[in-house]
Amino acid sequence: MKGWTGNILRVNLTDKTYKKESFNEEFATNWIGGRGFAVKILYDELKPGIDPLGPENKLVVALGPISGIPAPNTGKAVVAAKSPLTGFYGDGNLGTKAAEQLRKAGYDAMIVEGRADKPTMLYIEDDKVEFLSAEEVWGKGTYATNDWIYAKYGKGAGVLNIGQGGENMVRYAVIRSMEGRAGGRPGIGAVMGSKLLKAIVVKGTKSIPQANPEAMKALGIGDLKKVYEMDKKSGWTKQSTNAVLAWCNEVAGLPVQNFRKTSHSEAWKIDGERLNDARVATYGCPNCTMKCGITIHDKEGHESELDYENVGLLGSNLNIFELSQVGSLNYLCDEYGLDTMSAGCVLSFYADAIEHGAVKGDFKFGDAERAKELLRMAAHREGKVGNLLAEGSLRMAKEFGHNSEAYAMQVKGLEVAAYNCKFIPGQALSFGVAAIGAHHREAWIISFELKNTTRESFGPEKAAKVIELQRIRGGMFETLVACRFPWIEEGWSLENYPKYFNTVTGLNWTLDDMWKVADRIYAMIKLHYIREFPEATRKSDYPPAVWFDKSNADTEGPIAGKCLDIDKYDQLLQHYYDQRGYDKRGIPTKSLLGRLGLSKEADGAEKYAKLS
Amino acid sequence: MKITVKLIGPLIYSAGFSEKDFNLTGPVSAEDLLVRFNIGKNRPTIITRNGKAVTPADPLKDGDRVVISPIYSGG
Repeated sequence: MKGWTGNILRVNLTDKTYKKESFNEEFATNWIGGRGFAVKILYDELKPGIDPLGPENKLVVALGPISGIPAPNTGKAVVAAKSPLTGFYGDGNLGTKAAEQLRKAGYDAMIVEGRADKPTMLYIEDDKVEFLSAEEVWGKGTYATNDWIYAKYGKGAGVLNIGQGGENMVRYAVIRSMEGRAGGRPGIGAVMGSKLLKAIVVKGTKSIPQANPEAMKALGIGDLKKVYEMDKKSGWTKQSTNAVLAWCNEVAGLPVQNFRKTSHSEAWKIDGERLNDARVATYGCPNCTMKCGITIHDKEGHESELDYENVGLLGSNLNIFELSQVGSLNYLCDEYGLDTMSAGCVLSFYADAIEHGAVKGDFKFGDAERAKELLRMAAHREGKVGNLLAEGSLRMAKEFGHNSEAYAMQVKGLEVAAYNCKFIPGQALSFGVAAIGAHHREAWIISFELKNTTRESFGPEKAAKVIELQRIRGGMFETLVACRFPWIEEGWSLENYPKYFNTVTGLNWTLDDMWKVADRIYAMIKLHYIREFPEATRKSDYPPAVWFDKSNADTEGPIAGKCLDIDKYDQLLQHYYDQRGYDKRGIPTKSLLGRLGLSKEADGAEKYAKLS
Repeated sequence: MKITVKLIGPLIYSAGFSEKDFNLTGPVSAEDLLVRFNIGKNRPTIITRNGKAVTPADPLKDGDRVVISPIYSGG
């Protein structure tokens, strides 16, 4: 078996033990790596019903066969666990030197079990693992923690750490790595915190096993240069992802005021042009030649790296149109280790609920200073309000009542990304059926939908596109593990990715082989879901109810008077199920599971829900 | 006729403006704008008129707001 180290590092924090375990080629080729490994490991090892914030939960850090090898854009790791936000499998990816270092240490994944008896930092160097005290930095933010780690181990070390949000088990706490990088939206940072694990530091000195290392070196480095040249020509990194803000504002797709509105006359103040003008630095992930991290000085003078999701959800969605203030909110999320997207939706929901009388409070849209205070309170679970905000919008809505769940902007508990789908049916579907809740990384179809289909359509072509993108983005890129941006933003051919995979593994795969693994992963995540929520129905694949509410329709602009039609959405959902081979509840059929090689898992799942 | 053209992202830097009003004569399509501003050769674009997608051949009308953007994937 070439291309994989064949090893998983298992660490137990309770008894401070560790061991190297091996996996075979069948496991490797069934799941590839990254999200695939995490989905399989957690399905096999977690008992349904466990407390995600208890010692029984496990944290998985997983890499792919091209992770850490110089090639476009391979400096990422997947982090996963049972989510404290959604109650089933959750994951995320983040750029980190830990991707390369962990592979050089000889592992394709690590599993962290148990709970430490005091704040701990794991230090991994090849075959050695040390359990070190992190008491000195417990209570500190991610920037100070990173500095403390760098002072000990140098800037070349791979680092994964948490801030106060993770320590205090905020349900949308993330894991942070280096400048601007964060991952694990569904509270994977809170899982670290629940284990009193402040940081993981990795250094490796071995070679990453490859079938054709010389060929891969030439191919990967050559392609990094080509992507760099493509970006120079296209100019994408002038504004990076935040270029999309101005476009969303034009097509009635921008989240404004907790998604109540779809555009705003002041949106230009926080758009990509203004961001580029305010740029003081640019950061990116390892092995990247199209660095997207545009960094500005926030209101208090900190460096704050902004992208579209941050600006959309901490800016326009809160009616805050001062870029330096958006920078401040983003900086605080990064410092505390909170997911910027969920944090933005939680604050906007809180303001909306106050405005609609569902709860009493003193936060209003547009109040950046109070928003900063609320983020601090959430990160520290300070007082009743801080504790409430730390729970995420779905739990808040259940506490508030008054039908507020209708405008809690989440699916399956995970807050939606910064695309207002009031009348964008395909994108609404992609949020509804995203594997782990309303994540944007799996199927972003707005521009396809508006350009290549009729916006009003709820037809099968939109379901087909969502599946196609899930296979590419939620499947292949999450398993290899690589960033999708060279492909989608610069037009770098998808065919390059099986080429990298084949060069390092010596196999001869096509994109179709990748799609089969992707389908296996999506089916498996559904099995994770139904064993936690056996009574789940297709309603769990619906987007927030406010998007179906005629009284919430825009009064002017391109979608004036329109909203999603619930019957038509249900029909679109059925197209998706039919094309996927799922039953009317949205559960994979036995026959599909058999074809995907998951018959054993199907039998196990029947303990929880009957399969069709 | 008066047409307002709004460019998105890197198109701004290649065309040299972000948003501008133009007084144009005769039948004009979105495609004519792409040629005029030398846009869309390097990457696919999406064109909207008054917030709704149009094809490059669609004729424009007086008062239209035309937005030309590269196709994005989001953050």
